[in-house]
Amino acid sequence: MRPVEFLRLSWRSIRGHRLRSTLTTLGVIIGVAAVIAFVTLGASLQAGVVGEFSPDDGRNVYGWAADPDVEGGPAAGAQPVFSEADLEAVEELEAVEAAYGYATVGTQAVSYDGEQVAQGDGLVASGPSYVREERLAEGRQFETGEREAVINPAAAGRFEENVSVGDELEVTLLGGATTTVEVVGITDTNEGLSPFEGFESAPRIYVPTDPYYAEQTDGLGIGGEGAGESARFLAIVIEAESADEEAIDRAREAAVGYLESDASDAGELMDDELAVTMQTSTELLAQLQDVLDLLQNFVVGIAAISLLVGSIGIANIMLVSVTERTREIGIMKAVGAQNRDVLGLFLAEAVILGVVGAIFGTALGLAAGYLGAWYIDLPLVYPLEYVALAIVVGVLVGIASGLYPAWRAARTDPIDALRYE
Amino acid sequence: MAESASAVALSGVRRIYHVGEPVYALDGVDLEIPRGSYTAIMGPSGSGKSTLMNLVGCLDTPTEGEVVVGGREVTGLDERERTRLRGEEVGFVFQTFNLMPRLSALENVALPGLFRGEDRATRRERAAALLERVGLAGRGDHLPNELSGGQRQRVAIARALVNDPALLLADEPTGNLDTDTGRNVLDLFDELHAAGNTVVMVTHEPHVAERAERIVHLLDGRIERIESVDAGDATGTERDATDAEGDATGTEGKD
Repeated sequence: MRPVEFLRLSWRSIRGHRLRSTLTTLGVIIGVAAVIAFVTLGASLQAGVVGEFSPDDGRNVYGWAADPDVEGGPAAGAQPVFSEADLEAVEELEAVEAAYGYATVGTQAVSYDGEQVAQGDGLVASGPSYVREERLAEGRQFETGEREAVINPAAAGRFEENVSVGDELEVTLLGGATTTVEVVGITDTNEGLSPFEGFESAPRIYVPTDPYYAEQTDGLGIGGEGAGESARFLAIVIEAESADEEAIDRAREAAVGYLESDASDAGELMDDELAVTMQTSTELLAQLQDVLDLLQNFVVGIAAISLLVGSIGIANIMLVSVTERTREIGIMKAVGAQNRDVLGLFLAEAVILGVVGAIFGTALGLAAGYLGAWYIDLPLVYPLEYVALAIVVGVLVGIASGLYPAWRAARTDPIDALRYE
Repeated sequence: MAESASAVALSGVRRIYHVGEPVYALDGVDLEIPRGSYTAIMGPSGSGKSTLMNLVGCLDTPTEGEVVVGGREVTGLDERERTRLRGEEVGFVFQTFNLMPRLSALENVALPGLFRGEDRATRRERAAALLERVGLAGRGDHLPNELSGGQRQRVAIARALVNDPALLLADEPTGNLDTDTGRNVLDLFDELHAAGNTVVMVTHEPHVAERAERIVHLLDGRIERIESVDAGDATGTERDATDAEGDATGTEGKD
């Protein structure tokens, strides 16, 4: 018998029990949809967080002080311990070229030429070399102590008229105070410049910690123990003498050694529970990737279990179907159907259920994944190889769950089957 | 009708079931069914009618003895070959019609061809011709539950004929039909017989059996007697089981 005829006949049986077939397929649909949705979401998340980012931070090492037991991304659980004096001292270290703080300044909105847009992400405050020369498309780095800023193209393009070098922006800080910045440079990328920012594309404004971070901490009294004491930073960036691994290790060791010693303000403030972590963005990216992978494996594992439940559903309904259609099996055998014909018919039925489930599940999963990715504003990624994989899984689920029922059907004795009521 | 003169020949056939103690469903049966003949098999329940039918229909193999269907010895065949022989040489007609409920009349008739590997166009063409022959032209698209009992039985007969079998094996074909419809179906069997088909009909109704050329009476797994029916005369005359070769074990000592 030809395969097409098998499928035709099996399809007929499936259509004969619409509700039952739909419910049976639902198990597979949900399983496959869950896998595809999370894989899509995972791929989009990865694209959003990690992006095309190929970590090339050259000489930069990023550091923060946190409880070593705290797991998570960059600066997770960080405490503001690094003082201005620490930064200066670190910069004096032989292995270290430069050191500066990193902080974000909360904002509400940014205005240009009377036009105001909301900006909740704030200003990124750091040292001049945080925005490396080679990242600048136009202009120059900002200078410490000046009311200057480097912005990225996304920030420049938010207004009706593009912001260009030399223009002035008015920034409304959290709390309502306003301040002005002069744009002195524009970067060549919308992605974050360091792991502290995250790697996703967003409008960003980079300013010097002095005056912007200093003013904010003065005003709110955070970071220091009393008014008048200089601001403390959650995170710092140090620059090694060169980009090779050895130089970076040397800079890292020297900086950590100094910051954890009692000689530094940070060391004084930190008790035994805190430790300084210093990592390059390559290292941080790898960690982030690990977390993403773990999350994805976990979810795919759960989805695989629901797929297993789905195939048990198919197996179950196929067994019922075989019993119910005993007489039909008898008729087919009486008119010359071989065991393998009967086997093929029932197997085809299970495979159709599996494949239909996989197709609908894939469609549903992609829709859900894209909706999710769109909702949390991630770039859409099309994991096409998973779609092909889902169909293969559908076939396998069908075969695995249909084999035993089909075998039972095939070896039904036609004499008993014809007598079956 | 080429190779052999008989459509079916049984010699010394025993069929023993082991249900705790051995049960002799058939206990030494010799019977020859010539090609083109019309034979009725009668007997009370438990007389071995069904077992005989299963053997003749290649659904079962004897414990002892020989069964030859369409010129081929069935006993030594494995299940696959038996299935093929059944598909090619035997056309079944059942009391409960046994049509595939989700297939149309035409598809039901075309079904045996499907398992023989015939292509779709040939199958459908042949099925349509047979439906016309049994008086159901234009009903091919109907599902079984859209047809009356008599029509369903006609579909079943068309299906039985589709592979040009050596014999038509009918098991109480009028059992589920009212008298008039039953008579029509029996007329159809008469027509088919007249056209050269071999018909074997299992029944417990004398008026049905009397349509046949001869009636084989079974009792307790043996042939009790074989009765010839004169064409056109419903009464018939009794004879000893002379048709059964090598003398009938079933005729003696059974009163």
